[in-house]
Amino acid sequence: MLPLRSVCGGIWRAAVHTVRTSRGAPPYRLLSSTCDGAPAALADADTIFALSSGHGRCGVAVVRVSGPASATALRCMAGFTQRLPPPRTALLRSITDPRSTEVLDRGLVLWFPAPRSFSGEDSVEFHIHGGPAVITAVLQALGSVPGLRPAEAGEFTRRAFQAGKLGLTEVEGLGDLIHAETEAQRRQALRQMSGELGRLYQDWSDRLKRCLAHVEAFIDFSEDELIEDGVLNRVDVSVRDLQAEIERHLKDERRGERLRGGVQVVIAGATNAGKSSLLNKLCQRPAAIVSPIAGTTRDVVETALDLGGFPVLLSDTAGLRDSSDLVEREGVRRALERVEQADLTLVVVDSAHLPSEVDRAAAFLREHLSSVIRISRCLLVLNKADLLPEKQRQKLDMELRGVSGLPAVCLISCQTNEGLKDFLTVLHSSVKTLCGDPLFGAPTLTQARHRAHLQRCAAALAQYQRYRDTDLALAAEGVRVAVTSLGRITGRVGAEEILDIIFKDFCIGK
Amino acid sequence: MGHESNGVSNRDTPSFNFYSDRCASHMLRKKLPFLHSLLSPVSRHVGHLAGHQYDVIVVGGGHAGTEAAAAAARVGAETLLITQKIHTIGALSCNPSLGGVGKGQLVKEVDALDGLCGRAGDWAGIHFSILNRRKGPAVWGPRAQLDRQRYRDFIQSELLSTPRLTVLEGSVEELLVTEPNPEEPGHHRVTGIRLANGSHAISARSVVLTTGTFLSGSLFVGQTTSPGGRIGDAPSSPGLSHTLRERLGLRTGRLRTGTPPRIVKDSVDLSLAKLHLPDSHPTPFSFLNTHTHCKPEEQLPCYLTFTTPGVERVVRESLQLNCHIQQDTKGPRYCPSIESRVLRFPGRSHQVWLEPEGVTSDLLYPQGLSMTMPPDIQLRLIREIPPMRRAEIHTPGYGVQYDFVCPTQLSPALQVKSTQGLFLAGQINGTTGYEEAAAQGLWAGANAARWALSMPTVTLSRTESYIGVLIDDLVSRGVTEPYRMFTSRAEFRTSLRPDNADLRLTPKGFEEVGCVSSVRYQESLRVRNSLQDALTALQALFLSTSSWKKKLPSVPISETKSTLLTGLDLLQYNDVTFEMLASAFPESLSSYMEFAQRLKIEAVYKPHCDLNKKEIERIQREENMSLPQDIDYFSLPVSLSDEVREILDRVRPSTLGAATRLEGITPAAVVNLLNYVRVTEKKKETPQYFDGERVREDAA
Repeated sequence: MLPLRSVCGGIWRAAVHTVRTSRGAPPYRLLSSTCDGAPAALADADTIFALSSGHGRCGVAVVRVSGPASATALRCMAGFTQRLPPPRTALLRSITDPRSTEVLDRGLVLWFPAPRSFSGEDSVEFHIHGGPAVITAVLQALGSVPGLRPAEAGEFTRRAFQAGKLGLTEVEGLGDLIHAETEAQRRQALRQMSGELGRLYQDWSDRLKRCLAHVEAFIDFSEDELIEDGVLNRVDVSVRDLQAEIERHLKDERRGERLRGGVQVVIAGATNAGKSSLLNKLCQRPAAIVSPIAGTTRDVVETALDLGGFPVLLSDTAGLRDSSDLVEREGVRRALERVEQADLTLVVVDSAHLPSEVDRAAAFLREHLSSVIRISRCLLVLNKADLLPEKQRQKLDMELRGVSGLPAVCLISCQTNEGLKDFLTVLHSSVKTLCGDPLFGAPTLTQARHRAHLQRCAAALAQYQRYRDTDLALAAEGVRVAVTSLGRITGRVGAEEILDIIFKDFCIGK
Repeated sequence: MGHESNGVSNRDTPSFNFYSDRCASHMLRKKLPFLHSLLSPVSRHVGHLAGHQYDVIVVGGGHAGTEAAAAAARVGAETLLITQKIHTIGALSCNPSLGGVGKGQLVKEVDALDGLCGRAGDWAGIHFSILNRRKGPAVWGPRAQLDRQRYRDFIQSELLSTPRLTVLEGSVEELLVTEPNPEEPGHHRVTGIRLANGSHAISARSVVLTTGTFLSGSLFVGQTTSPGGRIGDAPSSPGLSHTLRERLGLRTGRLRTGTPPRIVKDSVDLSLAKLHLPDSHPTPFSFLNTHTHCKPEEQLPCYLTFTTPGVERVVRESLQLNCHIQQDTKGPRYCPSIESRVLRFPGRSHQVWLEPEGVTSDLLYPQGLSMTMPPDIQLRLIREIPPMRRAEIHTPGYGVQYDFVCPTQLSPALQVKSTQGLFLAGQINGTTGYEEAAAQGLWAGANAARWALSMPTVTLSRTESYIGVLIDDLVSRGVTEPYRMFTSRAEFRTSLRPDNADLRLTPKGFEEVGCVSSVRYQESLRVRNSLQDALTALQALFLSTSSWKKKLPSVPISETKSTLLTGLDLLQYNDVTFEMLASAFPESLSSYMEFAQRLKIEAVYKPHCDLNKKEIERIQREENMSLPQDIDYFSLPVSLSDEVREILDRVRPSTLGAATRLEGITPAAVVNLLNYVRVTEKKKETPQYFDGERVREDAA
C-alpha cells in the first residue's frame, strides 16, 4: 500500500491530464463539441458559491465564489462594468442584486484570478455584514446569476484538491471534513424533511417518479404492450400541475414555515435521570414539568436560548425505556428521532446507577452511550452527583476524563448546582466549535440550495412540455432531470426504482 | 503456438475466407457455402486436438458463444468453439426475432464492433420495422422477424469462414484450473478444458463459458421435470457446475424462463386476427449494409390477437398441475408466462402476437403465450383464443430453470475475478435475450483473446454504449431476476443512439480492442469525417432571420429574433429537413445528401448531448481511476466505516466510478479511497497490418 500512497499527490493531476488529452480523440465527442472551441480549464464547469465564515454572532461574513463564472458574478454584483479590479486587492463596493439593482450591502470584494486562488479556479470573495438578512439576500442574488449554483458538501475543498492546491496531509483530512459536512447537511435535511416542507417535497418527488415511470413505460413497452395513449395524457396533466406548483412555491416569499436556526442540542437518556431538570436549569425557568415519577416527560419540549452569544435550540425528550404505554412509546420514538437529527446530544445519566469502580463505570457508560446514540456528537452528563459520597465523586471526576471511547464527561447536580458552571463552559465551547463551521445550523444556505434545485426542476419540466409532441426521448429527458434535481433534496432515485413502478402499474409481457 | 495446421481448422480454406472483403456490396451478394461439405472435416476425430494448445476456448454455440468465438478470432487468437451439436449453432431457441426497443441499440453496437448478429439479422430478416418511430430517434428500436433457418445458415457460414477459428462438436466435462495460489491476483488460473467422451484435455490460455440455460438446467412441462437446457438437447455435464461452485467457490443463483408452444400455421384462422405489416422500406441493422437480403415486397406480416376470459379460467383450473409456476424461482417480470400474467393482472385481455417462423416454415410463434402446463391443457388454452379455435400444437411450451453465476464476481472485462483467464457471457451471467447475450459474448471473447495474447483487457463505459450499461449493471449491481435491456437503464440515452453506434464504437473497436476489420474501420472514418465536414458547413451558413425567411419561405421563423442563425440552428426546427437546406445551398451541402437523416438527428440532439457532456466527463474521469483488485479493505488505514468496508469488500469495484455508484458509499469514503487509486492510462497499441489483415505479434 505504501508506495501507492506516496505517489498519490500526482495521481489526481495525472487523471485530469488524461481526460484532457483524450478529449478530442473520440469522434463522437468531436462531433458534439464543434461549437465550444476553447477547452474548459477544468472539467467541472459549474461555478459554485457558499458562505465560508461561521454563523452565529459575527460582524463580518465571507461569501466565496469559485468557477469560470466568478468574473460575471463580480461584474454584475459589484458594479465592475468596464474592467475587473486588480487581483487580490480589497475594494469597498456597493453590492447589488443583479435582478432589481437594489443595493444589498456595502462591503469588501476581492478578485482572485486562476490559478492563484484557494481552489485554483477564478474566485471572488465578498466580505459583507454578518446579519442573517444580508447573508440571505446576497446568497439569493448569487443564485440568480447565470451559471452559479450553491456548493455541495466539501466542494470547494474538493476543487482545491483537484487543482493540486492541497498537500498530502491536507488530503488526509479532506475525507473527514467532507464526512462532517455531509453529516451536517444530512441532519439539516432530516429536520426539514420531517416538517411540512418535507412532506411537500416528498409528495412532489413521488408524483414526479410516477410521471417518469409512465413516460419510460410508454417508451420501452408501448410498441408491444397494451399501454394506451391515455397514459401520456395523464402525465401531461401531472407535469403541468407540478410545474405550476413548484413555480408558485418559488414565488411565495413566506414559503410555509421558517427554518429554525441555531445549533440543535438534544437532552436524552434513561427515565428519571434528570433530563427535564437540566433543561430547566439551562433556560433558567421551569419550561418542563419535573417530578420524581419516571416517564414524566412524554413529548419533546423545545426551548430557544442564547448561550454566550450563540443561538441554541434545546430539546428535552422522553426517557428511553421499553414501555407498554402507547403514548410513552411514541414519546420514545420521537426522542430517538430528535437524537438522530441533533448537532449535539447531552446524554444524562443518573450517577447513582454507576458501578463504583472506575473501569466498570467506564464500560457501563460506553454501553449506555451506544444504546442511545449512533453517530452524532455528544457530552456525557452525570447528574445527581450530590447523591454520591464525596470520595467517589472526586475519583469519578478525575479518572473518567480522558478515558478512551468516552466523550467529555461532566459531573453535576441539578439539585445543588454543583458542577454546573464547569458544564456550561464545556457546553459553550462545543457550541462555539459547531457554530464556527458555516454549514451548521445555517438555514439560509440550505434554502439557497433547495431553491436552486427547485428552479432547475421547474425548468426541466418545461422541457417536457416543449418536446412532448415532437420527440418523447427529449421530453422524457426533461422529466429525468426534474427527478434528479428534486432528488438532490429528497434523496437519489435510481433506474431500478422507476422500473419497479413500471412493473407495478403495467402488465408488461414481451 | 497454434500455428501448425491441425486438419480441422479452416484457416487454410481460402475459398470461404470472407474476412477481407466484408463490405456492403459483397456481403449480401455472397452465396452461403454448402454447409455440409464444411461440417464433415470439423467434426472429425477429436483425437487430433488432444494436447493441442489454443489461445481461447469458447464453450457454447448460442448467441454469446458465436459472438465470443468470432470476436476472439478477429482479435487474433487461435480459437476453438466447442458445442454439443454443430447444426444448432446460431439456433434461435425462443422467439424468431431480433432487436426492439433497447435491444436494437445493442444489435447496432455489436455490429459497430464488427459482431455477427446485425449482419445475420439483415440476411435472415423477413419482416423489418423500426419500433418507436414516433417517439424520437434516441429511442428508435430497429427490429426484425427472422427466418430461423437462414439465421442459422448465416452464423454457421460466418464462423466456418473465420480465420483462426475451429469448431468442434463435443461436450465439456470439466474446466481445468490451477491450484489456488494466494500470492497471485485472482488465485486460480484457467488452463483448459476436458471433454466428456474420454479423457481429452485441450489446453488454452483463456476459456469463455457461454452455457446459457444448461448450467444445472431443468425442463418443466406440467408436473414432469427433466434435466436439460433446451428441449431436444442433452443436459450439460455436472462437472462444469461442480468446478465453478466447489473449486472456484463462485456464488450462484437460480432463475427461470419459458417458451410458448409452436402452432401449426394451417390450423389457425388468421382472418380473425389483426394484420400487422412491416415497414415498406426495410432498414438494415448493419452499418455495412445498404439493403436487406429480403426484398421489401417479400416480407411476411405478423398478426395480433388477444386473450379471452376462457384463457384465465384454464390457467386457474390447471394451477395444481403446473410445477414451474408454483416454484418461487425468480422469473422475469417483463416476459412473464401467460400464467403469471393472468394471475398478476386478472380480468384483463392480454396481447398475443402470431409471428412467422420463416419463409418456408409451417409454424407460427405465439409471442406472449409462454406456458408450462401439461400439453393437453396447453391445447385447451390456446383454443380459447378466437383465431386458434381449431389450432394444433406442433411442440408444446416448456419452462427452464437454471443456475447463473452472480455477475458481481466478474470484472468489467467479464473475467471471473478469482480466476485468471476465465470469462463468462450470456445467460450464465443472469441476463435474458439474444441481444444481451451477443453483446456480452463479443466483449468477453475480445477480452479473452487479449488476455491470452498478453494484451491488457479493455472496458466499455456506460457513458459510451448500451453494452457498457449492461456490463456495468451486471458487475456492479448484480441481478435478482433475468436482466433485460431497456432504454430507461441508460442515463445518457440521448447520446447513445442507434444512429451513432458506429461513431461511438467502431474506431475504439479498431484502435483499442482490435476486433474490427480495417474495411469497416476505413468506412467508419469516411462517414465520421463527412459528418464532421457537413456540420462545419452547416455552421458556416450564418444568416440573418430575414435572409433565412427568404431562402426558406415555408418555415415559420420568428420575426422578433434579430440575431443571426446558422444552418445548424435552422436544422433544429421541426419543419426543416436537411434536404430543404441542401436545395437552398446546393453548392455547400448537396454532397452530404447520403447523411441527411443522421445530420438532422445530430442537429436536434446536439444541445442535449452538450449538456450531458460534463457529467459524462466526470464519470469517465472516475472510471479512469482503478482500485487494485487485491486491496484488503478491512485493514486499510483510513477512516472508513465498517459498513463501507464490508460493501467494498463484497463488491470489489474495479474503478472509483463503480465505487461511487454503490449503494451506501459516502462521498467521504470516495475521497478516502483516492489514496489507493491507480490511474489507468488508456494505452493505444499501434496495430500492424499486412495485406489488409492484422498480423499478430507472437506473444511468446
